[in-house]
Amino acid sequence: MTAVATAPDSDRDEPRIKRELPGWLPGLLGTVAIVIAWQLIAVLWGGEKHVVASPTEILQTYQKDGWGLYWPNIWQTVKEAAQGWFWGNLLAIVLAIVFVQVPVIERGLLRLAVASYCLPIIAIAPVLVILYRGDTSKIILAALSVFFTTLISMLVGLRAADPASLDLVHAYGGGSWMQMRKVRLQASMPSLFVGLRIAAPAALLGAIVGEYLGADRGLGVVMIASQSAINVPRTWGIALVATAVAGAAYGLTALVERLVAPWAVKDRQ
Amino acid sequence: MTDARLSEPAPTEAAAAPAAAAPSPGDGISLRGLTKQFRIGRETITALDHVDLDAPSGAFVALLGPSGCGKSTILRILADLEQPTSGEALVHGQPPEMTRKNHDLGIAFQDSALLPWRTVQNNIKLPLEVSGVSKSGQDIADLIKLVGLENFTNARPSQLSGGMRQRVAIARALVVDPKILLLDEPFGALDEMTRQRLNLELQRIWTERATTTLLVTHSVAEAVFLADTVAVMTPRPGRIQEVVPIDLPRPRTPEMMRSPEFHALGDKLSDLLFTGGIPNSGDDK
Repeated sequence: MTAVATAPDSDRDEPRIKRELPGWLPGLLGTVAIVIAWQLIAVLWGGEKHVVASPTEILQTYQKDGWGLYWPNIWQTVKEAAQGWFWGNLLAIVLAIVFVQVPVIERGLLRLAVASYCLPIIAIAPVLVILYRGDTSKIILAALSVFFTTLISMLVGLRAADPASLDLVHAYGGGSWMQMRKVRLQASMPSLFVGLRIAAPAALLGAIVGEYLGADRGLGVVMIASQSAINVPRTWGIALVATAVAGAAYGLTALVERLVAPWAVKDRQ
Repeated sequence: MTDARLSEPAPTEAAAAPAAAAPSPGDGISLRGLTKQFRIGRETITALDHVDLDAPSGAFVALLGPSGCGKSTILRILADLEQPTSGEALVHGQPPEMTRKNHDLGIAFQDSALLPWRTVQNNIKLPLEVSGVSKSGQDIADLIKLVGLENFTNARPSQLSGGMRQRVAIARALVVDPKILLLDEPFGALDEMTRQRLNLELQRIWTERATTTLLVTHSVAEAVFLADTVAVMTPRPGRIQEVVPIDLPRPRTPEMMRSPEFHALGDKLSDLLFTGGIPNSGDDK
C-alpha cells in the first residue's frame, strides 16, 4: 500500500525535470555531438585515406566555390523534383479517389501500381533518358518515386473514414460522391500527409538519379563531376546540400499539413 | 432555464402534417414479417426473424434487448442503411428509401460521428448540406440553444465532452425537421449521471416536436422513462417478445423513477428480458 502511495510522487517529479528542458535542446545537442564526432573521425582516420571530408573542410569548400556553383544546380534539381512531385502525387490522389469510388477499377489497376513500385528506378532510368530529352526523364523519375507511396497512403486515408459518418451522409440522402466530398476527402488528410512527407525527399532522389544518367545541370551532375575529379570535400558538400533541400521539403510539407488539417495535427498530439 | 426553453414556440408544422391524418396503430412505424439474414462465410445467421411492430405517428417507441438481438438492425433497415431479406418496413406508410430520399429522417448513433474538422455549428449543418434543405442561421442558433450548447457554437468536437458531443449529434438529427427520429443507443457510452440528464432533455425536446421516435437501448430505466411503448426483444434470432405500453403520465420527472409504478414496469421488462434469453416456446414461426 505504501509503495503505491509513494509512486505518484515520483511520477510527479519526472515531468517537472522534463519541463525545464526546451523541446529543441535535445535535437541541437544531438546535432552538435554528431558534427563533433564527424570532425574527429575525419581528422583521425578519414584524412589519410581521403574518403571522409571533415565539416570544417566542407565549410571551406563552400566558401571557396561560392554560391554560383551551388545555386543553379539546386534550382535545376528542385525544379525537376517539384514537377515530378506534383504530377506523381496528382495522379496518385486522383487514382485513389477513383479506386474507392469504383472498386472494379482498383482490382485491375492496383497490380499495375504495385509493379511500378517494384520496378527498380535505376533500371528504367536509362530507358527514360533515351526516350525523353531534357528535363522530362527526370520529372518522370521523380513522379515514379512518389506515385506509389502517395497512392497507398491516400487509399488508406480514404478508407479510414468513420463508418458512422458515412452512414450519416447516406441517411440524409447522400450518395457515394457526397460521402467522398463531405467525409472521405477530409478524413484522408492525416494519412495523405504521411505519404506526402515521404514523397518530398523521394522526388528529389528520383530527380538526382535521373541526372546521374545524363544531364547538363543539377545536383546529380555536379556530384558525379566532383567525384570523378576526386574532390572529396565538394562531393560531401553537395550531398549535404541535397540532404538539406530534402529536409526542407519534408519540413515544408509538415508545415502545410498544419495549415490544411490543423485538427489532425492536434488530435495526434 | 428548462422552463424558458419549453415555452418557446416549437416548429411542428412538419410533424403535424401526418399526425393530422386519422391515427391508426401502424401509421408511424410499421414492420411486417421483417427478416434479416447475414452470411458469414458459409453460415447464414438470422439476425431478425419475422418481426412485427406497429407504432402510431408521433409515438416514442423503445426497442429493448440484449446486445446482438438485432435491435440496431431494425433501426438500420428503417434508415435504409440495410435491406431486409424478407418482410416489409414502412415509415409513415412509405418505404425507408423514400423517407431517406425525402430527407424526412433524423438519426443519431452511440458514436456521435461528429466530423473533427467541423465546428459544432457546421457539424449540425451537415445534413442540410447533404440534403439540400436550407435553414436560416437563426434556426441553427435555436437548435444549438435547444441542446444547451450556445457557448460552444464554434468549438471543435475535440474540445467537447462525451455528453456534449451527443447533444450535438441530437441537434444534428433534428436539423432537417425529421418526421422520424432514429436513435441507436445515443447515450450508451456515457456515464449514468450524464445519461439521465440527457434523457430528461431528450424528453423535453421530443415533447416540443412530437416526432415519431424509435430508440434502441439496452437500459430498462431509459426505456421506461422515455417511451410510450417498449418492444422487448430476444436474441438469436431476433424477435419481438412482447410490446409493453408505458402508461406513466408526461412530462416524466426524475422523481417518478422512484415511484412504485416505475419500478413495477421496470421489473416487468427485466423479467421479460431475462426469461426471454432462454427459448421458451417451441414454435418456429
